[in-house]
Amino acid sequence: MTCIHDGNLRLYLDGGLAGAELAEVTEHLASCADCLARLEKVRAARAQTEAVLATLAPAADDVAINPTMAYAQFTSQFAADREPKTWINRLLPPRWRPVWGLAAVALIVAVLVSVNPVGVWAQRVLAMLRVQKIRVVTIDPTTLMSSSEPNSRPYRLFNQFVADNVVVTMDPGKPEVVSSLTTAAQLAGYPVRMIGSLGAPHSIDVNGETAFQMTINRDRATTLLDEIGRSDIHIPESADGALIAVHIPKTVISMYGDCPIRQRHVSHNSQSQAEVLAERKMERMANIKDTNCTYLIQAPSPTVSVPPDLNMSDIAEAALELAGMTPAEARSLCQTVDWSSTLVVPIPRNSSSSETVTVDGVEGTLITETLSQGNRYSLLWIKNGVIHSLAGHGNSSDALNLAASLR
Amino acid sequence: MTGRERSSERWDEAEFRGVFLQHYSRIVAILIRLLGDRSRAEEMANDAFWRLYRQPALQVDGNIGGWLYRTATNLGIDALRASGRRRQYEEAAGGSRDEGKINSPLEDLLREEKCHRVRAVLSSIKPVQAQLLILRSSGLSYKELADALNVKMNSIGTMLNRAEEEFRNRYLATHPNEEEL
Repeated sequence: MTCIHDGNLRLYLDGGLAGAELAEVTEHLASCADCLARLEKVRAARAQTEAVLATLAPAADDVAINPTMAYAQFTSQFAADREPKTWINRLLPPRWRPVWGLAAVALIVAVLVSVNPVGVWAQRVLAMLRVQKIRVVTIDPTTLMSSSEPNSRPYRLFNQFVADNVVVTMDPGKPEVVSSLTTAAQLAGYPVRMIGSLGAPHSIDVNGETAFQMTINRDRATTLLDEIGRSDIHIPESADGALIAVHIPKTVISMYGDCPIRQRHVSHNSQSQAEVLAERKMERMANIKDTNCTYLIQAPSPTVSVPPDLNMSDIAEAALELAGMTPAEARSLCQTVDWSSTLVVPIPRNSSSSETVTVDGVEGTLITETLSQGNRYSLLWIKNGVIHSLAGHGNSSDALNLAASLR
Repeated sequence: MTGRERSSERWDEAEFRGVFLQHYSRIVAILIRLLGDRSRAEEMANDAFWRLYRQPALQVDGNIGGWLYRTATNLGIDALRASGRRRQYEEAAGGSRDEGKINSPLEDLLREEKCHRVRAVLSSIKPVQAQLLILRSSGLSYKELADALNVKMNSIGTMLNRAEEEFRNRYLATHPNEEEL
C-alpha cells in the first residue's frame, strides 16, 4: 500500500480510524519507517500545540457553571416581553400583593402557615397547616429581596426557582368574572359578603381552586441564595427533600369603585412590543390613580401539608431573613410565633404601620401604608376559617367604617 | 421529512430548555477559553442561544449542537479580533491594560500574559482554523467537530494538522524565544 498521508496519521493518533482502515494503517506502520517517523512528528506537533492551547483552560477553582440557573437568567433576560408563566403570577394577581406582603416571599409565607395537626391520619402521615391567626412583621425594605422590582434579577431568579420546583397539581384556570353576589357564592361554595355602604360591587372575580406542591431541594435553594448574594442565610439540612403540599380553596375578590381593568392574558404573538409596553404603562397609571377602588377579598384558609418532623421554625427563620429581617429579629420572632396556625405578613418598616383592631366581631390587623399619593390600608381578619382582606385608599377610620357596614 | 411532527414556527419551550441545559456549560467553557472572562463568556453564550431561539426551524435540522458551537465560537472569535484591534490602539496610544491584575502573584501574571499571546495568535489565523483549535482543545470529538464545521469527519485530521501548523508558525514568529515551542 502507498504511504499514509499526515491527515490519516492524525486520525490514527486521535482514534478516528476503525475497522479495515485502522488495520491497514497499523499494518503499514509496522513496515514503513518513513510513515512511522512522520507519525512521531505529527504526534510531537500535536502535543506542542495542545500544551500551548491548554494555557487557556479555565482555572480549576472556577465556580461551576450552573445551566439551570443560567436558563432562568436567560429566560428572564430575553423573554421579558412574554408573559411569565410562573404559578406565582397566577396565584397572586397584582392587587393581592399589598395584602399578602411581598409576592416573593408568598410561597414561604404559605409554607409558614403553621402546623395544626388535624385528625389522626394527618398526624400519622402529614402535619396539616391552617391559618387561624395573622401576624404582621416589619422588615427592612432596603434589602435585596424586598426592594426588588418585579423585573429585577433576584426577583426573577426567585420566581424561576419556584417555577422549577413547584408542581401545580390543580390549575386554577382563569378567574371567572361575575356581577352578582349570588352567582359568586354559588361558584365559590360559601357566602360572599358585601360592603353595605358602597352598594353592589362593580365586579367580582372568583378564582379557581389551586393546589401545588414542592420538594425542598437544599442544594438548589443554597445555590439560589448564593446567586442573589444571600449565602449568609442557612437552610436547615433536615429540610432537604421535604415535600410541601399547598391547597388553596376558591377565593373571591369583590371590587368596588373604579378599579383598574384586569390584565388580559392575551397572546403576545399578536401584539407588538410597543403595544405591550403601552398596555403596561396604562396599568401602572391605573394603579396609581385608582384611589377610588376598594377590594374585599375572601379566602378560606389554604391548607399546607408538611412532613411531621419538618422543623418549620428553622425554615421560617431563613424566609424571614430573606424578606429583610436581621438574623436576631428572625430568631426571636420564630420563638414567639406558633407556626401551626399563624400567617406571617411582612410589611416594609419605614412606610407601613400596623395596629390591632376589632372588626367583624373578631380581632383584626390593620396595616396602613403611607404613599406619596395618599394612604392605603389593608385590613385583615379571620372569621369562620375565612381570611378576609379589605384594601383601599384612605386612613384607618375609612377602613373600619367600611368594615362595619359589611353584610 | 424527519418524520417528527414538529413545528418550525416556534420553539417548543421544553425542547428549547433541554437544548439549553445540554449545551450551555460546554459553550460557556469554550467561550471562557476564548475570551478569558466568565461574565463576557456567559453573555455571549446567551447571545448564541438567543440566536438559536429565533431560528426555530433548526429544531428539525438535527444538528443543533453543531450550529451552537459554530455560532458561539464565531461570536467569540469576532470579539477576540475586535478586542485585539482595540488593544493595539491602546498600546499604540500608550495606554496600559489590566491594571487591576498588578497585584496578582507572579505566576498568575505570567500565565495571564501567555493567555494573551495565545489569544492574539488565535485571532490572527483564519477564523475557521481558530474555531477548530479552540473546539478541539475544549474536548470536542471528531464527530462534533465535523458537525460544528460542516465538514466530513475524515477531513478533520488534515484540517487539524494545518491549523496547528499555522498556529505554531505564528506563535513562534511573534515569540521566537518561547522555550516550549
